[in-house]
Amino acid sequence: MPPTRTQLDGLIAGVAKGDEASFAELYQATSSKLFAVALRILRNREAAEEVLQEAYFKVWERAGDFNPALASPLTWMAAIVRNRSLDEVRRKVPKSSGDDEMILDGLAGDNEHPLDGLERQEDVGRLMRCLEGLEPEKQQIVRLAYLDGLSREELAARFSRPEGTIKTWLHRSLAQLKGCLEQ
Amino acid sequence: MIELDDIDGLAAEYVLGTLPLDERDAVKARLPRDAALRRAVSDWERRLTPLADSLRPIAPPPNLYSKVRAQIGLSSHVISLKSREQHLVRRGNRWRNFSAGMTAMAASLAGLIGYNAMQPPLMPTQFVAVLQSAEDKPAFLLTVDTKTQNCVITAVTAPKQANKSYQVWMIADKLPKPKSLGVLAEGEMNVMPMAGASDADNAMFMNANFAVSLEPEGGSPSDGPTGPVLFQGKLIQATP
Repeated sequence: MPPTRTQLDGLIAGVAKGDEASFAELYQATSSKLFAVALRILRNREAAEEVLQEAYFKVWERAGDFNPALASPLTWMAAIVRNRSLDEVRRKVPKSSGDDEMILDGLAGDNEHPLDGLERQEDVGRLMRCLEGLEPEKQQIVRLAYLDGLSREELAARFSRPEGTIKTWLHRSLAQLKGCLEQ
Repeated sequence: MIELDDIDGLAAEYVLGTLPLDERDAVKARLPRDAALRRAVSDWERRLTPLADSLRPIAPPPNLYSKVRAQIGLSSHVISLKSREQHLVRRGNRWRNFSAGMTAMAASLAGLIGYNAMQPPLMPTQFVAVLQSAEDKPAFLLTVDTKTQNCVITAVTAPKQANKSYQVWMIADKLPKPKSLGVLAEGEMNVMPMAGASDADNAMFMNANFAVSLEPEGGSPSDGPTGPVLFQGKLIQATP
C-alpha cells in the first residue's frame, strides 16, 4: 500500500525536526517513484542516481521550509527531482543505449502505472482524463515534455514543426488542461 | 477557449520543462522575488505531478541510501560541530599536519561517527579517514572500529565509471608496496584488515595512508595499483 498524504506529511514533519527514522521511511516510501522520474528524463542510471542523492539531501536540508498548505510532499519532492534532472539533461548528459530501449518501452505506455500513485488516485485519474481530452498529438507532446524532459527544440524536431508552433500548441494544451482540471 | 496570461504561461512551461535554458534561468532568478509567479509555479506543479506519479516505480540501487546518509551526516555536522572542530584544532601538533579543509571535514565526520555510535564513546575505538582528491569534496569514507576490528569503506560522491573499479589500498613505510584492502563492488564494503594482526601491525594501520585507485573492472591485474590514485587520506580518531 502506498503511504497516504497524511503519512507523508507526518514523515516530512519528522524530517524537519531532524528525525532520521522519519527520513528513512520517507526514502523508503518515495525513492522508487522519484528514481523513475529522474531516470525517465536523464536516461542514464549514474546521472539519475546522482540527482536522486542530491534531491534527498535537499529534502533533508529543506524539510523545514515545506508547507503542506501549498503542496503535497510528493509534489514538492517531484519538483526537486525534476528541476535537477532538467538542469542536468539540458547540459547534455550522454544517454546510455541500454536505458534508451527502456525509454522506448516507456513511450509505448508500458512504463506508466496509474493505479500505483502516491497521490490520491483520483488526482491521477482526473489528470489522465483531462489529458485524454487533448488531441492525440498534443497529448503526446505534453507527456514527452513533462515525463521525458524534451525541450521545445527536440519536440520541434520530432514533430517536424517550427518551435513557434510547438510553443503555441503547448500553451493551448496547457490552457485546456487547466480548464478541464478546474471544472 | 481559456488563454493563459503571461505569468501563467511562463509558469506552465517552466514546470513542464520546455523553456529554453536562458528563459528557464530567468524564471529561477525571478522566483524568489515574485510571489505571483511562485504561486503560479506551485499551482502547475500540483496540476502536473499526477503525471510523474503515474510512472511505474523503479528501485534505486540499494547502496544509494547509505550515500545519502553519509552526505547528510557531513552537512548537518559541519554546522553543529563548529565548536568541536575548534577544540580539535586546539589540541595541538597532531592536527597541524592536516590541511585546514581536511581538518574541518574530518572533524565534522568525526562528530558524525561519534554521534551515530551511541555507545558510550569514551574509549578511542572509532577512527575515520576521509579519502578525497586534492581540493575536492570527500569521495570515500573509511571508518574503523578497533574494538570490533571492523572497517567499512563507503563511496560518498565518487562517480561510477564504466568498465572500471575502485580499489582501496593501504600505504605505509613498513610495507614494501601498497597493500590492497579490496575492490569496491557496490557503494560500500566491509573489510577486517586488522583481524588477528599484531599490535605493531595495528599501529601501522592506524598511521597508514589510504588511497583509492581507478583500476580495470574487477581490480588491478597485478599486485599493486596500476591506475591513477584518485583519492587519499589518513585515519583520525573519531571519538574525543
